[in-house]
Amino acid sequence: MTIVWTRDGIVENDPWMTAEGEAEAKLLALAEALEHAQDNAAFGVVLQPADDVRELAPLLDRVAIIALTFPAFSDGRAFSQATLLRDRLGYKGELRAVGNVLLDQVPLMLRTGFDSFEVDHAPTIERLTQKRLPGIDLHYQPATDTTLDGQSYSWRRTAVING
Amino acid sequence: MYRYDEFDHAFVAARVDQFRDQVERRLTGEISEDAFKPLRLMNGVYLQLHAYMLRVAVPYGTLNARQMRKLAHIARVYDRGYGHFTTRQNIQYNWPKLSDMPAILNELAEVEMHAIQTSGNCIRNVTADHFAGAAADEVADPRPYAEILRQWSSVHPEFSFLPRKFKIAVTASERDRAAIQVHDIGLQLKKDDQGRLGFAVWIGGGQGRTPILAKKIRDFLPEADLLSFTTAIMRVYNLHGRRDNKYKARIKILVHETGVEQLSREIEAEWAHLKDGELKLPEADIAAINAYFAPPEFGSRAEGWGELAAWKKSDPGFADWVGRNVAPHRHPDYAMVTISLKPIGGIPGDATAEQMDAVARLAEEFGHDEIRVTHEQNLVLPHVALADLEPLYRALLADGLATANSGLITDIIACPGLDYCALANARSIPVAQEISNRFGDPARQAEIGDLKIKISGCINACGHHHVGHIGILGVEKKGAELYQISLGGSADENASIGQITGRGFEPDQITDAIETIVDTYLAERTGPEEAFIECYRRIGADPFKAALYNSEAAAA
Repeated sequence: MTIVWTRDGIVENDPWMTAEGEAEAKLLALAEALEHAQDNAAFGVVLQPADDVRELAPLLDRVAIIALTFPAFSDGRAFSQATLLRDRLGYKGELRAVGNVLLDQVPLMLRTGFDSFEVDHAPTIERLTQKRLPGIDLHYQPATDTTLDGQSYSWRRTAVING
Repeated sequence: MYRYDEFDHAFVAARVDQFRDQVERRLTGEISEDAFKPLRLMNGVYLQLHAYMLRVAVPYGTLNARQMRKLAHIARVYDRGYGHFTTRQNIQYNWPKLSDMPAILNELAEVEMHAIQTSGNCIRNVTADHFAGAAADEVADPRPYAEILRQWSSVHPEFSFLPRKFKIAVTASERDRAAIQVHDIGLQLKKDDQGRLGFAVWIGGGQGRTPILAKKIRDFLPEADLLSFTTAIMRVYNLHGRRDNKYKARIKILVHETGVEQLSREIEAEWAHLKDGELKLPEADIAAINAYFAPPEFGSRAEGWGELAAWKKSDPGFADWVGRNVAPHRHPDYAMVTISLKPIGGIPGDATAEQMDAVARLAEEFGHDEIRVTHEQNLVLPHVALADLEPLYRALLADGLATANSGLITDIIACPGLDYCALANARSIPVAQEISNRFGDPARQAEIGDLKIKISGCINACGHHHVGHIGILGVEKKGAELYQISLGGSADENASIGQITGRGFEPDQITDAIETIVDTYLAERTGPEEAFIECYRRIGADPFKAALYNSEAAAA
């Protein structure tokens, strides 16, 4: 089973699911999205790790959702893509992690600006629905998530992950 | 030295809890071994040939006595009574049980230590000059910057799944004792012409199967920009470093394939967006971290000058030890003492729990409670009064820690090799032991002078063989161990990569081959004042090759 999870819980009838047979509205690859930019209708995009997110800059106001792909647990490029989309390009819409999304990455994904997660790993789904994320509330570096500055050094932040 | 505040304590405790949860999920099968591997590695847990191994971080190599006693305690209770100090200023335990790991991490947390990011494809323990804060030739203590980098890089959300591991080293003097040119990022703390502190920034150095020296991309980066510039380097690397082949995934390959000018432009372009952002270091924060590293009060101990001269005269063994293992401190009444972990015929870098306890006691008694771990696998007491050298020497002698061989041919770096390591192709430790025994005579070592031998048991080069004056690389050929020799490597400010001499040597020939090289040097040098590396650079590899291979051809 594949589900979509956000901070508010499991999303029912999500229209952008990438898992085969479940998608109603297909996410466009980067090249398709750039072509599609002629129309005015809202659309979603799914990027691969090698894609340059900056190419999406002119389209961001019409994009309904951007999905970034984790082809393997060990491929961390989407963490930088997400940071660039949020911090550099000011993208405010839905940012979804798809692919090999496992529990221990989710706290890092939340910090880098992801806000929805397509997950098919059963133990991960269980922990997410229980809101028991394995994260740490203290951070030694600013990221794109909303955090408190805290009382000490400029680089430190705090946030409550399972709040 | 740095002391944890409430934030650090809470962070490390939370990290231990997080790891305990990960171990439990692995044991119940919720996480596959594939997915668990990067998680355990990021907390220093390896699966080796015979057992799990735990690598504990010693940030920039600085310890106090209480921490060293804890390391001894862990060796005694959870391991087999010893630990192994590594070339990255860490300590490894070779025999802990996986089920004991959370308990060990709790014990470490009690003394403000951890195993965070001592492995895995993330930013590793930041290393520094082991004489930092004591050396006469540094512009400032580099450790506060290493500490800032340590904090910033801990569980970094963007840079925890890099293409490959990432190593940063910091030094603060022209004489490089931190090997910055063989690190992914090398930082040299310096002053500009107006006396402001900043860094020369080098990127893309590394060893492994493709040894490459780092390239300088900034001559002077203001200290306030340390984190923003490092972030720019990391982001460019994370997005563009190769992920198709783990042997081509380090930043050195990205530098090589992209070209340093082009890559430097990309880094500078990324940095332009970051430099005035929230990563800019406020002066007050830099000053606050620096305050932790304020040197101890060095009281005047001028009586040591006369005493030292008299002691040296009456005890040649002490005089030898002072000559080799004691270096000038920036305070004239004090010295920096290297405690050799290279006893003749011993295992480089190993220390027993008793020896660790002894070093802790002596650091308290004579060393202002400071200990350093060096990347050459020795320990250092950085602040010892000259007047205390003789009693310190006597005490070290009693614990087998007074070997007077710092920088000599028996001060060998060696990786754990096939005796422990799952990656190794050949043994390293017995080779180091045999060479150490062969050249163990103090007079012979003294005659040979400064000579660095470094031994790796596989191409991953943990024993730094590429930058040994004499490097030895163990390989496997047709099921047997074979040792290749390289000459002319160096990891200091005149860094160079050693050149392979030719075909390798079998285990029972390698020590003879080293002796042939040493004899060739002794015959060719202009005199004792010309060290091995200088002689090699003058005469080149040919005389050594001739001695190594022609005599055999003649004999055959």
